[in-house]
Amino acid sequence: MSAAREMLCDTARAVFADAQEGGIAPIETAGFGLLLVSEADGGFGGDWGDANAVLRIAGVAVPDLPVTDLILSGLAPVPDALRAAATVGLMAGAAGQALGLSIEHVNTRQQFGRPLGKFQAVQQSLAVLACEVAALDAAAAAMAARLDATGLDAEAADFEIAAAKLRANRAVGVVTAIAHQVHGAIGFTREYDLHRVTIPLMRWRSMHGSDAYWAERLGRQVAGLGGRGLWEALTARAE
Amino acid sequence: MQGFALYPFDPPGDSSALRTGLRRWLAEHQPQDDVVRRANCWASFDPDFSRALGAAGYIGMTLPARYGGGERHPLERYVVIEELLAAGAPVGAHWIADRQTGPLILRYGSEEQRERYLPGIARGETYACIGLSEPGAGSDLASVRTTARETAEGWRINGQKIWTTGAHLSHIMLALVRTEEGSERNAGLSQLLIDLDTPGITIRPIIDMAGHHDFNEIFFDDVLVPHAALVGERGQGWKQVTAELGLERSGPERYLSSHALFAALIDAAGPDPAPALAVLIGELAAEMWTLRQLSMSTAAKLAAGEDPMVEASVVKELGNAFEQEMPRRVQAVVECGWDDPDDLARLLRALLIASPSFSLRGGTREVIRGIIARGLGLR
Repeated sequence: MSAAREMLCDTARAVFADAQEGGIAPIETAGFGLLLVSEADGGFGGDWGDANAVLRIAGVAVPDLPVTDLILSGLAPVPDALRAAATVGLMAGAAGQALGLSIEHVNTRQQFGRPLGKFQAVQQSLAVLACEVAALDAAAAAMAARLDATGLDAEAADFEIAAAKLRANRAVGVVTAIAHQVHGAIGFTREYDLHRVTIPLMRWRSMHGSDAYWAERLGRQVAGLGGRGLWEALTARAE
Repeated sequence: MQGFALYPFDPPGDSSALRTGLRRWLAEHQPQDDVVRRANCWASFDPDFSRALGAAGYIGMTLPARYGGGERHPLERYVVIEELLAAGAPVGAHWIADRQTGPLILRYGSEEQRERYLPGIARGETYACIGLSEPGAGSDLASVRTTARETAEGWRINGQKIWTTGAHLSHIMLALVRTEEGSERNAGLSQLLIDLDTPGITIRPIIDMAGHHDFNEIFFDDVLVPHAALVGERGQGWKQVTAELGLERSGPERYLSSHALFAALIDAAGPDPAPALAVLIGELAAEMWTLRQLSMSTAAKLAAGEDPMVEASVVKELGNAFEQEMPRRVQAVVECGWDDPDDLARLLRALLIASPSFSLRGGTREVIRGIIARGLGLR
């Protein structure tokens, strides 16, 4: 990550921590609405990679605040596909947090005289969870790269947005199920933080396009490309 | 761990020109194979094709020129192999030598071994097999019992290897053997580079459930190989094998084995598929695109000189799941008879039968998940 993006993330972490008490106001005041506005227009001049990094933090720290709306407000007009793209960033952050909480829990919680993480059944489940998180991260990063290569043109990045939101949606079922299963009853309480990421994940899966919506849309696009054409398009779009 | 480290895939030079050149070359030189041979094509042996590919400079690409290599960047090689796999080219003959044996000889081998073996590998003429599994050492590789005793004349090898893909068509085997008497588990192991025409070696076929002869069992009966067959450091075999497995697990072959079926499905669906079929194609396309990112990122980490053990395992786990699920999901949606003669039905049948092996070869799903769990800080 570049130094500028590191600084942006540090700021986001600090501001979002304040926003947990103060609502969206401190985030607005800190200027996150200008993140994607060009420097010439008085903005921060950030790219989608920056937005993705900030949204990952928002997905963990302030999942219930309209941070995506605020960040996208710098662009006009905002196609719904970009809202889907922004949601992928939130989902990547929340899924990573679900993994982190799960690792922490199984390494501390003792049963049968040893930490849960010593049991192969638990290890295998967490490996599956980690794979889904990796897939979501990679999808979010590749989508960001395409959006940045096309100057945030949602039409030109239609394949990547569809694929990334679909992949993120599909990860939700596995991530929430395994994270809750390895946590046991404590993860089902209001007091413990797991629901602060799993409920938003469930909500985001329904927002800006379900699995079926994006799958059919992407499937039609691919059908139009043909079998060989899919490979040619995949490689050309990333080069 | 905390997450899969994402590395940007940024090969030097013009990779689209590299792709275009290879696509043009393939249009001229790829044999008009039966479509079923284009699936899982890194198991399709075609020495004539391998030689032509080597002559064109597409094998041993990363090796130094003095050993006949192309001195290209590892990510340029990645571009080439993903193109070969996506085209369904019959790359099986040279696959293992190019992917892991050559790089391992370059890294750990003696000057004599490099000069002796690498030029043949780069020409697509010298083929290698992997001597790891034994009857008592499958997932539990550290239970290897084949021994090599150092004598005045050289190493005397006794024991047995099994599930060795392509041994009957290969010239050399890179074998993991126990060189230290009384040693246990992963200590006391070494790698030997064995010419398979050495007296005392018996190779017997094992026919798989598809009726193919891909793997073999190999018996070593007092086989004498020279002292110079030792690769790398005596007793460091485990460490060297671990590095070799990193090369083996993360490549594009871990998600492109079933690609011929996906392409046939898309073509059979036509430009206006029924909704259920469109959904299936969309889901498969999204997963394939995601896997490509993961695999490219892992290749970039490897190329940066770092050890992507966990990342490679993630690619293998998700890739195997993808390419195993694909024929099952296609079967669930597409109406075609088991014995239908069209390409889609034949590919489907072949991959349904071949796919159980995908999460066995190169490390079972359970072993791979265990490696990921260790990377997460469990255990």
